[in-house]
This record gives sequence, C-alpha cells and structure tokens, in this order.
Amino acid sequence: MSGTRVFLISFAIASCLAAAGTASAYHTRFIANNCNYAAPTPTPYITRDGSIAVALRARHEGYQWGGGCWNDNNVDDSPGDPQENAGTGGEGADCSGFTFKVWRESETESNAGFYQWGMFRHVHGPYTAARFKAGEGAPNISVSKSALIKMDALAKSGHIGMIYATNTDGTDQIIEAKGEAYGTNIWTRTYRGDSNYGGVRRTGWS
Amino acid sequence: MDGRRNRFALGRSAAAGLLAGTLVGSTILVIVGSAIAQGTADSTDPYIEATHLPRLLTTAGAVDLEYDAYCIDPALDEAESSCDVTGSAFVRPGTSGHFRELPLVRDGGTSRLVARVPTSIASSREGFTYYAEIEAESQSAAVTLPAGGASAPHRSLPLGRTIQIDLGTHRFGESTRADERVVAAAWGDGPNEAGLEQGRNGAPIGASAFDVDASGTVVLLDQAHGRLLRWSHDARSPTLVPVEVDGTLADMTLARDGTVYVLESASRAGRTPLVRRFDSDGRSLGSTETAEARWSQIRHAPGGPVVLQQPSQQWMPVAAAGSLVGPEDQRRRGRSGRPHGDGTEVIVFRHDNEIRIALVGTAGVHRSWRITSETALAEVQLAEPLGNHLVLVARVYTDDRDQFLVLVLDRSGVKQSFALESAEWAETAPLARFRLAGSSLFQFGSTSAGVFVDRFDLEVK
Repeated sequence: MSGTRVFLISFAIASCLAAAGTASAYHTRFIANNCNYAAPTPTPYITRDGSIAVALRARHEGYQWGGGCWNDNNVDDSPGDPQENAGTGGEGADCSGFTFKVWRESETESNAGFYQWGMFRHVHGPYTAARFKAGEGAPNISVSKSALIKMDALAKSGHIGMIYATNTDGTDQIIEAKGEAYGTNIWTRTYRGDSNYGGVRRTGWS
Repeated sequence: MDGRRNRFALGRSAAAGLLAGTLVGSTILVIVGSAIAQGTADSTDPYIEATHLPRLLTTAGAVDLEYDAYCIDPALDEAESSCDVTGSAFVRPGTSGHFRELPLVRDGGTSRLVARVPTSIASSREGFTYYAEIEAESQSAAVTLPAGGASAPHRSLPLGRTIQIDLGTHRFGESTRADERVVAAAWGDGPNEAGLEQGRNGAPIGASAFDVDASGTVVLLDQAHGRLLRWSHDARSPTLVPVEVDGTLADMTLARDGTVYVLESASRAGRTPLVRRFDSDGRSLGSTETAEARWSQIRHAPGGPVVLQQPSQQWMPVAAAGSLVGPEDQRRRGRSGRPHGDGTEVIVFRHDNEIRIALVGTAGVHRSWRITSETALAEVQLAEPLGNHLVLVARVYTDDRDQFLVLVLDRSGVKQSFALESAEWAETAPLARFRLAGSSLFQFGSTSAGVFVDRFDLEVK
C-alpha cells in the first residue's frame, strides 16, 4: 500500500471522526461554549417597543426546550435537537423562557421588577406557559383577549406567544419560540380566538 | 533484504501518511466545523421592521396612517438599544397621478410614526392610494410599505352606502350539524391516518390544510408524513400522494387542473417561505419564495394562486400563466383585495368588533357590508362571492368560548346564518379551516381522535 493511499484513507477516516465530533458539539455544546450565569441588571423602566427590540434579536435563532440563551447570528446553532429534552444544551429559548426574558422578569416570583438578562444569559425563569396563562407571578396578570395589545401574550397549556402586530383579516402576527423545526420568529396565527388560549399581560410597562 | 527494506519503507510511509492525514483532516474539519458551529459571521447591519394596518375601507372623517417601526442595530447593546427612524408617506387621490409626500411624525416617545391624510385626498370619491418609506436616520437601513411602493400602493376606498349588519351578542352553544362528514382520519402513521408533528406531546400540530376541487374531491395536507391524502367523492379511503415538503405548518390550494400549491411557513434568515408546486401525482414542478416573511393564506384566483402576505398586507400572485412568480414581481403586483372570477376583488378589513367587506370593481366599491358585534370578533376565515351573495366565515369569541359564524350576505343583509363549533384540537395553518366549493361550505376540524372534513350545503345557488 503506497504512502499516498494510506494518507488518503487516513484523511478520510480522520475527516469522519472530526465531523462526528463537530456534529456532536454542534448539537450539545452551545450553552456550555457560549452562555453565562451572570446576575441580571435591574432596569427601572422598559417599554413595549423596547421589548420588541429585544425579541427581534432572537429571530432565526434556535429553539431549546427549557432553554434561554441565544446569540444574534441569525442561525440555529443547534438544529435537530430532540424536541422535549432540556438537557441537550442547544441554542435558543422555549416559548415560556423566551417570554420571560423578553418581558424582563425576575426569577423570584414575588418580584415584579424589570431585569435585563442579556442574550447570552442562560435562564428560563420559573414559569411554564400554563402558569403564564394563569397569571401566576407578581408581574403577570390574566387579561381579556379582546383587550390585548402589542407585546401582551396569548398562552395555553404547552405554548405562549407575544402579539407583534394585527392583520387586516383579524389574525395576529405572533413572535414566539415555536419548536425545534421552527426556531424563534414571527408568524401569523389565530391564537386570539382559540378558546384554548388566554390573554396574559406583563404589568408595569408602557 | 530489499523486501524488508521495502516493508520498512512502506511502514514509515504509512505511518507518515496516517499522521499527516489525521492532522490535515482534523485541522480542516475543526476549522470548518467551528465556522458552522459559530454560524456565519454575526450580522452587524442595522435593519428595520415595520408594521402597518392599512386603512382599506374608510368611513367619513379624518384618516391617519400609522406605522410602527423598529430599527435594530446589532452593533449596539441590546438593552432597548435601537436606532432612530424617520420617513414619509406618499399619498394621492384615486389610483393615478403624482403622490404627495407627507412627513411621518413620531407619536411621543413610541415607535409609532403618523401622517394625517389631507381631507381633500381622504374624501376623494375614488378613495386614495399610498405607500410609505421609512429609513434609519443614519440611512443605513430602509423599508417600503407596501413593498411594491409606488408600483403597488395600498388602496383605500370609501365604504360608501354600505349594508349595516348588527350581530348583537352571540349565543354560544347552538351549532349546526353537517350535511355530510366527507372525510375522517384518525391520528397515526397508517395509510388512512394523519400525523402529528410532535406526536401527542406538547401543543399538537397536524394536518396543516385542505382544499376541495370542483368534483368534490378533498385533499388533505399531511405535512408530518410529507404526503397528500386525497379522497375522491364517495371514496372510503384516501389515495396517498407523497410530496416533498419540509414538514412544518403549511397552507395549500388546488388549481383547476389539479396542480397543488403548498405554502410553507419555516424559513431561514434572509430567506422567505417557499411555495412548492406539484402535479396531481405529487411530482415537483418547482418552487418560488414569497416576497415577504409572513403570510396568512394562499388561495386560488383566476390568474393563479395568490398569497396574502405581511407586513405589506397585500395579496400577491405566486404563479401566473402557468409560471411561478418571483418575489420581485410579487411585490410589484400586490393588491389590497383578493381577485375573483367575475372580475371583482373582495376586500376584507376586521378591526376590533367590526368587519368591513367590499366587492370592488374597476369603478370602485359596488357593494359593501359593515358588520358589528357585541361579542368579540377574531379572524375572518373565509370571504368569497357565491353568485349574487357573499359567504363570510368569522370567529366569535370570549375568553373561554369560541365558534365560527357563517353568514351568507346579500343586498338585504343576512340571507342565512349559522354557527359551527371551532373543533381545533390540533393547530393548522392560520386560515385553513374552510373552503367553498360550488354551493357547499367545507369545514376542516380535529379532535383528540383525528381530523375530519364536514360539508354544509348553503341555501343559495
């Protein structure tokens, strides 16, 4: 066997091994490699418009069940994560973690203050979509769906999304972390009329 | 001896090759892998997102054009950091002539930009057309709404002498039974079953959309399995037609020749959703991207399928004269109303607890309805002419109940009305619940057991 042939075979084997290693890291190391656990910055005041600016930066990033850390490179850096496995360490928030961060809430449920977490802070917050729907936690209240305005949310057991805009046909544009196959983005939805969904508002902002 | 030397030389060569191959291969793959893992270089260009609810059908009084514009500069800290925007609306009476520029004025400290349409233009009997250009003050980013700008502006029409309908307070609980259940399929992976994207866990999403052709054949998009389920009239089981779709929520429409258009919803950054075209056997006939990032429905129109896209809030053709239409042409051909076979367009505008609908021809509005309700109104699922009538399906809701309300409208008001249970255990494309074929209305619903399509025969021909 010639040295050249051995080189090529070795190259191919090494390529496969390296690719496998990279793929493994690609799916499981985003949080470990990029995210932090720093204390949030208390923020005296935020606006609905300001929260949109925060939310828009998460568009086209990934979805991670139980997650809450993303960058702003418009790529899902951990595609194909198992949908309901909080331990895969991938990029992105899930629906309730995304809402928690965009609404700048505290991990202490009795605290209704505002906290800037930052994209790279890995935090989900204490609320599931069902708990948001129930208006649990000091910052959150249930609101009649017909009274919802920009950046209020529609929540049911298993999902929550925030209202970005309303359309001429009566649908809403919802900004949400939808699922592994979708990531985080804005889509047109009919959540408002769906009786499974309830209205939720983050209090204290303008 | 020579043989031993050769074997020794070969061994040294192999070892060197193994070492070099491993080093080079690993290095290249680590570099490539790292680049992929980090994504592409961080996007640093500012961008603007703007929304606008077009003033499609107006009544007397002042008309304000309102735009919510968000300028994001990724180079700045994310704590509410955004770049300032400025802009103008361009307005003209009717549909021709020069546009008049109106500066957009910021509404207090919010993201809202506003321009009041001069009374002389707003009160024009032909209505007015308009668009807006919004840019970052640094001029590093800009958007035009609607996207076609002066080539395809929004058209605002006076509602004129309208037929007023007051629905009062809706009585939940009374619903009409279907004339026939034409399709029923259990959830599952079998040949006669429809799939759920993530199984039964979490929020169920399944069987995205359906359509019905003139012969009564029902086609269901089973996106989880990448196939169409086709029930011919009176067939007990469906024919399976594999199609190459991405498996996420999608809407669909059937052309008269059996061509199937599937409009997908997921897209990568910098790209927009795909419209895929298939022949009746599921063979791919190509695809095109939508002009805009979001959509609420795809429907058949005389010239080909049209998609109601956002943020422009316009119907844009995605195929015409047998060819797919690219994003740029879609933008240039955006319209406020959905084209119909009799040369008219239907314009729908729902705001709060009011729905305004107009049939519009070349001379403007020739019939309109203004529907108000004490019970909250959500989306308009369907609004289509049927002979001299118009069939409207809208959702009424409270915080814990909802139903679809079917109204058959004519010159005198409501000719027929009935309520239907919403029956949406699983999520579909947003406006994929109803189709009109002949004088029958078809409803696509789901329960925890499976999906169904029911037929309701309307009292009009």
